[in-house]
Amino acid sequence: MNLWRLEWLRLMRTKRWVALAAVYVLFGLIGPLTARYIQEILSRVGSADGTVITVPAPTPPDGMVQFVSNASQIGTLVVVIVAAGALAFDAIPEMGVFLRTRVTPASRILVPRLVVSFLAAAGAFVAGAGVAWYETWALIGALDPGSVLAGVALGLVFLAFVVALTAAVAQRMRKVLGTVMASLVVLVAMPLLGLAPAISRWLPTSLANALADLPGGGTMDNYWPALGVSVVATALLVWLAFGWAGRREA
Amino acid sequence: MIHTRDLAKRYGAHAALDGVDLHVPAGSIYGLAGPNGAGKTTLLDIVAGLRAPTSGEVAIDAAPGTIAVLPDTPQFDPWLTGREVVALAQSLTAPAGDDARVDEVLDQTGLADAAARRCGGYSRGMLQRLGLAATLVSRPSLILLDEPASALDPQGRREVLDLISQLRGQATILFSSHILGDVQEVCDAVGVLHHGRLLFQGPLSELLVGRAVPRYLVRVREGAATGVGTGVGTGAGTTAHDVAAALSREPWVASAAAGDAGQVTIEVASMADAEHRLPAALAATGASVVSLGPEAVSLERAFLELTS
Repeated sequence: MNLWRLEWLRLMRTKRWVALAAVYVLFGLIGPLTARYIQEILSRVGSADGTVITVPAPTPPDGMVQFVSNASQIGTLVVVIVAAGALAFDAIPEMGVFLRTRVTPASRILVPRLVVSFLAAAGAFVAGAGVAWYETWALIGALDPGSVLAGVALGLVFLAFVVALTAAVAQRMRKVLGTVMASLVVLVAMPLLGLAPAISRWLPTSLANALADLPGGGTMDNYWPALGVSVVATALLVWLAFGWAGRREA
Repeated sequence: MIHTRDLAKRYGAHAALDGVDLHVPAGSIYGLAGPNGAGKTTLLDIVAGLRAPTSGEVAIDAAPGTIAVLPDTPQFDPWLTGREVVALAQSLTAPAGDDARVDEVLDQTGLADAAARRCGGYSRGMLQRLGLAATLVSRPSLILLDEPASALDPQGRREVLDLISQLRGQATILFSSHILGDVQEVCDAVGVLHHGRLLFQGPLSELLVGRAVPRYLVRVREGAATGVGTGVGTGAGTTAHDVAAALSREPWVASAAAGDAGQVTIEVASMADAEHRLPAALAATGASVVSLGPEAVSLERAFLELTS
């Protein structure tokens, strides 16, 4: 038994991995299916006044667009909740005391929680993207592998940023609910800032959309600024989390 | 083992600790006694490094990693088994330890049969014992226990106090409690903390002897018609108040007070006076005496005298 196994058991025994995998894999299944059959779905539903809705024939990128539009919001929410549950280790003070009086520096407590939370989120995201990619190929058509893989990679960088943000916030808030709420406020505020085009390409949240954009003809040039900011911000947030974790009550 | 000098902790205008000079001798079981809010947990947290003092110094003669802390209500991830909790504690503090040591402390704390169960289903007493097992597994040289038995039922309290007593000689223990009987039972040195100030510290015997006032406790059977003696209360029965009033008039009695259930507390000028004169004085009252003897000085009385 060690801190790494502790985090593995946390994922397995509390079924948090199920929540992560279910969200991403479910949307991986539903996204391409919706893109492929949206015309049939709308015609079945119909409309009272006889209006006919015509939808363009689906193209392969539509499968990933549907996946990303569904998974990026709910998936990110679940990642924040799962990560906050692990990273806010002072939420129950007695549990914090157990660790803090046995592990120094306190950043050693954080490392396995950060890594395992990220790997769990990344695994679920990759699994969901894989399912969406396969189903898109099977139902609609093939996607350019390079652009899909690049989109997945940028999505993983975004998830690393989300976990690092949650870690830093958790060391300030020291409560799970407070950590979730504060992290979500930051993540929701970014797309609002991104309404200004000059800013949006610098925001880490824009990376979450890369998997939808790149297979449809988007270029990496649009993502380099956000990638750079995300990497620097992630490193900075992890550094802050380590520093704040070591604080004693003043 | 632990020395603090002029230790203070302030929260705004409130002084949780005020000039505390704690001295915990190596190898002792030191009881930090005081009412709720006296500053015991704050002091333990500062010694444990969990809080920073506002001013003052803390010196601990123990190697890093050999100090173990047990909070008053230990909690663990409920999906871990008892054995996993102890094994985790061992891996964090004594990674060279083996499984046999884990089994040994689980057995010592009476958790061997429950070791494979998830601790989310443990009772409060079992969690306390699990906390002790996790504390002991690394053979610490200094153990800080915050109110380890105060939230337990009588049986759980007895088990925890017995465990602490068994640790005598194996480690230095700093043990806080507002239950003075627990401190008196297991500790050989005591510090009395009140409103953030250390009012006394030293051997328990010194506290009790130093605070001892010569007192006798007498219990009379109230309402008993004795027909004996020539003093007060014959026939209708002598009450504790009658006895206290009669004894108060004796020149060698400093005070006499009636309490509940026929008890009379008599403070005398000297124990020798009481031994020579009290039986005769009681006989003169005509009281029916159930018991008679010198008061055993309790930590509670010493504490009350210190803090009043």
